[in-house]
Amino acid sequence: METIIELEGVTKVYRQGAVEVEALRGLDLVCEKGEFTAVCGPSGSGKTTALNLIGALDRISSGAIRLEGRDLTRLGRRELSGLRRDRIGFVFQAYNLIPVLTAYENAEMVLALQGVQAAKRRDKVMGILRDVGLAELADRRPDQLSGGQQQRVAIARAIAADPAVVLADEPTANVDSETADRLLGIMEKLNRERGVTFLFSTHDPRVMERARRLVRLVDGRVAGDERRQG
Amino acid sequence: MTGRPKLAQMAWRNLWRNRRRTVLTLSSIAFGVLLAVLFTAIQDRNWAETIDLAARMQAGHVTIQHADYLDNPMLAKSIQETKRLMKRALSDPNVRRAVVRVSGETMLRTAKGSYGAAFIAFDPAAEDPDSLSFLEGIQGAGFESSDDDGIVLGETLARNLKVELGKKVIYTLVDKQGEITSGMGRLRGVVRSGAPGVDAGLCLLPIDTIRKLVGYGPDEATQVALFLDDARRSSDVAARLEPDLPRPATALGWEESQPQLAGFIALKVGGARVMEIVIALLVAAGIFNTLFVSVMERMREFGILMAIGYSPGQLFRTVLWESVWLGMVGLLAGAAVTAWPYFYLAEHGLDMSAQMGSETLEVAGVGMSSIIKVGIYPENAVMIGLAVLLATVLAGLFPAIRAGRVQPVESIKLV
Repeated sequence: METIIELEGVTKVYRQGAVEVEALRGLDLVCEKGEFTAVCGPSGSGKTTALNLIGALDRISSGAIRLEGRDLTRLGRRELSGLRRDRIGFVFQAYNLIPVLTAYENAEMVLALQGVQAAKRRDKVMGILRDVGLAELADRRPDQLSGGQQQRVAIARAIAADPAVVLADEPTANVDSETADRLLGIMEKLNRERGVTFLFSTHDPRVMERARRLVRLVDGRVAGDERRQG
Repeated sequence: MTGRPKLAQMAWRNLWRNRRRTVLTLSSIAFGVLLAVLFTAIQDRNWAETIDLAARMQAGHVTIQHADYLDNPMLAKSIQETKRLMKRALSDPNVRRAVVRVSGETMLRTAKGSYGAAFIAFDPAAEDPDSLSFLEGIQGAGFESSDDDGIVLGETLARNLKVELGKKVIYTLVDKQGEITSGMGRLRGVVRSGAPGVDAGLCLLPIDTIRKLVGYGPDEATQVALFLDDARRSSDVAARLEPDLPRPATALGWEESQPQLAGFIALKVGGARVMEIVIALLVAAGIFNTLFVSVMERMREFGILMAIGYSPGQLFRTVLWESVWLGMVGLLAGAAVTAWPYFYLAEHGLDMSAQMGSETLEVAGVGMSSIIKVGIYPENAVMIGLAVLLATVLAGLFPAIRAGRVQPVESIKLV
């Protein structure tokens, strides 16, 4: 298997005034290509911090972190921007689509940033929107879509540029059960058919049930790592 | 099509997210443009007309005269070869007209009294109100020829001398050799210029009569007055003519020959520039406020954009595009709201006679009309447009820098 994410003895310390808060205390984690992994744990266990660090949105305090073998601590701000654009997809709890862009434009944004030609962008993005069941709503803006539809657009945006991993932060937290099931089904399908690697942080039991690997964090360390048959 | 992020398109849409705020900002830009254009147009038109009028009342936009004449205006300070000088001057592309004159000071006397006056001796066949404005307001027959035996006086001066049309006036002056000499003329007309100083001290005489009296040759005068298509070219024209003039002749732009008027206009134009800068700062402050608030409201969104791969430079450019759009649309809105008042004032003007107390106001010896009209120089209109764009871009710089420095992890708060 091809290793996508490697964390070795990662610590992250935040300063809040004079107080230091240790969010991660020597986290070790390896994720392989094609995994469908959920990271769970109580509030303050370090799930968000771990996703921020893997997503190159923040820097570790000590230890080692690599994405596809690249040491993230050695990359500058511009290189990290490029890495996020080309190799990482994000799905946020609150969807976070750009309100002035249509569903199609939101989904194609990363490809446009990569400089992919318009015709190729169109083919690819429309294919993905069809896969997530939104081809008919491609011209609608976020405020004309339901929460579930917006999250599907966010998923389309996250996978459009074929990233090494999609980091999904509580992707089902803001939708009803039926929509959550549908979203999970879409992500499972993308994982199965397109080989997209997913890493979730979640409290949602449905996500934990359907994940093929469940990593449990407690106090900034891995307290359990369970792999299941797909 | 190449694949590029549509920063300009996104910036355009961002602009209309808060429609009311954007419309208010555009209104302030448009109002700023209206003020700047009308303010500048009043200055441009009125000063251009004043300078032209001064040129027609005195010695043209450019004057060729003896180098010492300005400091010591004696008839002994004459220039020769005036026909050749006129020909040379008229070969310049900016010179549209050239006339020869003798001017100086004289003492006028009648049976009822005597007064000092400035005289201009001219060729009536060569001049009209377009070169000598006083000819427009003459009450009486005026001169028939350049060796006429008449004299024309300012209205107040004639009244002071208690002389009527057809009656005799003795004029005494110092000739080329420095000797006192006198001539006699019958009053052929009275000038009413509107400038009290002029009406009380102006005397017009036929040029050949005066030449004979003061001992000048037929090709000799105190000045060649040049009239230009644009008064702003006076220094350039004077500089171009200078090398071709026989010494001691020299060419002076109106700014040099009428330093009082030039100083007054420079003072007024300087004040106007200050007002224009204040207007530009007000416009820039409005744009800065809009963009800064808009950026601060969208910090989370910028964090998301950074997370999905926007570079700091792309965020910077997106916000800067918003300011460019504001400037461009504001400029168009400004042009729209300025058009009607501009053309109305250009055509009909604004009658300020009630405020001024008379139909004319004398500035440095020049009578200005009380009807204020507008007319902007094209280059000044372009400058205002560029200044608005520059002000908007500068006002957008700080918000754009702020957007480019967003830390995604702080803005997004994943959980």
